[in-house]
Amino acid sequence: MKALDIKDLEKRYPTGVEALRGVSIEIEEGEFFGLLGPNGAGKSTLIHCTTGLAQPTGGSIEVFENDAIDHYAKARQSVGLAPQEPNLDWFLTVEETLDYHAGYFGMPRRERRERTAELLETFSLTEKKDERTRTLSGGMKRRLILARAMMHRPRLLILDEPTAGVDVELRLELWHYVQKINQEGTTILLTTHYLEEAEQLCDRIAFIAEGQIVAEGSSDELAERFDVPNLEDAYLALVGRKELSRSHFESAPEVEA
Amino acid sequence: MSTAQIRLATLWRREVNRFMKIKKQTIGAPLLETFLYITIFGAALGSRIKHLHGIDYVLFVIPGLIMMAFAINSFTNNSSSILQQKFQGAIQDQLSSPASPAELLLAFSLGGFMRGLIVATLTFIVSVVLVGLPVEHVLVLIPSLFLVGFFFSQLGVLIGVRAEQFDDVAFAQTFILTPLIFLGGVFYSASLLPQPWETLTRFDPIFYMINLVRYGFVGFTEVSIPLSLLALTGATAALFLVNLRLFSRGYRLRA
Repeated sequence: MKALDIKDLEKRYPTGVEALRGVSIEIEEGEFFGLLGPNGAGKSTLIHCTTGLAQPTGGSIEVFENDAIDHYAKARQSVGLAPQEPNLDWFLTVEETLDYHAGYFGMPRRERRERTAELLETFSLTEKKDERTRTLSGGMKRRLILARAMMHRPRLLILDEPTAGVDVELRLELWHYVQKINQEGTTILLTTHYLEEAEQLCDRIAFIAEGQIVAEGSSDELAERFDVPNLEDAYLALVGRKELSRSHFESAPEVEA
Repeated sequence: MSTAQIRLATLWRREVNRFMKIKKQTIGAPLLETFLYITIFGAALGSRIKHLHGIDYVLFVIPGLIMMAFAINSFTNNSSSILQQKFQGAIQDQLSSPASPAELLLAFSLGGFMRGLIVATLTFIVSVVLVGLPVEHVLVLIPSLFLVGFFFSQLGVLIGVRAEQFDDVAFAQTFILTPLIFLGGVFYSASLLPQPWETLTRFDPIFYMINLVRYGFVGFTEVSIPLSLLALTGATAALFLVNLRLFSRGYRLRA
């Protein structure tokens, strides 16, 4: 079954900006799928259209064969979103953030309580459970956002640059966690600017540029397609900055001081 | 409970939780303000005016103050809550849930309604204890107060959704809502005003709301009760439908 089936997706903002121009993506259930592209390429818009934060102007989106645009209830139930920008409610405590989120998805009280305790423990947030979200450090906020996205046990988890600005330790911790839940069956759609992250985690990767999918495949397939040795060089070829390739620097003659 | 009921209850609980966490500002301050009005207009001015239309002045004023407390608190709560959540981005958590536009709208509306109801009820209780405020027509009073609360909750939602900065909310409250309430006859009777003020007052929709509530408490009105109730019901329903349309379209909520 397809976890996510996007066909000819278009999004034109009232300002006239065409953020998505006929994007089509298919992600199979259980896949770890990466979406790479420069800033402004349309990654977040695509995610927002899938999760109801933006309204597409054309095309269709299905999540586990349920319409995600007009009759979205079933589709949304299956999706968890960890957005790029921390969007926590300042008035709520850490525990309330998780509890309320699960309530929005119709989870009964007892189950919410158990799931909250489980995720607080998993993300090392138990000691902070009574603190208001605005008092948390950047890393803690990131953990809470991921825990919140997982709270209602989504079958498709969307991670929009989840490791942006976090330290190495937390990044590795998050990698281990998402790999684990992927192995347990959760489908993952990841956007990131860290190419090694995509290379290490994703089964398949799509390049998006100017609102269109320009290439798709495994890391090796993409390198082959752009006729370069690795994913990073394939990406640099995509954005027209081949001169920044590490191999280019490594082969350059040393400059004497 | 069904999943839809859990959703609605949680959305509503979040709204109530928000204002209860800052209750000095959201409950305490409006209560103090209302009691200051009662003291100044009731005790100080009332000692000179004594009666209006045969009713003790303080009893004439209090129904309008209760209505004003209900209205302003319902309005302020919703406009601030929605705008704050838009600023923080926290509203995305609700917008990306399976909740329908009607559920979201209802939860926001009931949040503000609840705050207005708490302030109005506390004012009522204190007024009964201190000055013996009567309830002459309970069957008019209860629907009138509920309609007033729900109307201003809807208005708060509308302004909160439309607002792009806190100035927009402050403008609506300071330059539109407060003058309409004050000039709607909270502290006086329209029939005592010279022309053209008396006629102009009748163009103020809040004049009719104050009269409904005043009739419910002390049995005095300057307007037709059935017509006013009908108009208020129509206006509240219309505003609800406008908001529902905005939520369905995602106006200024979704990109």
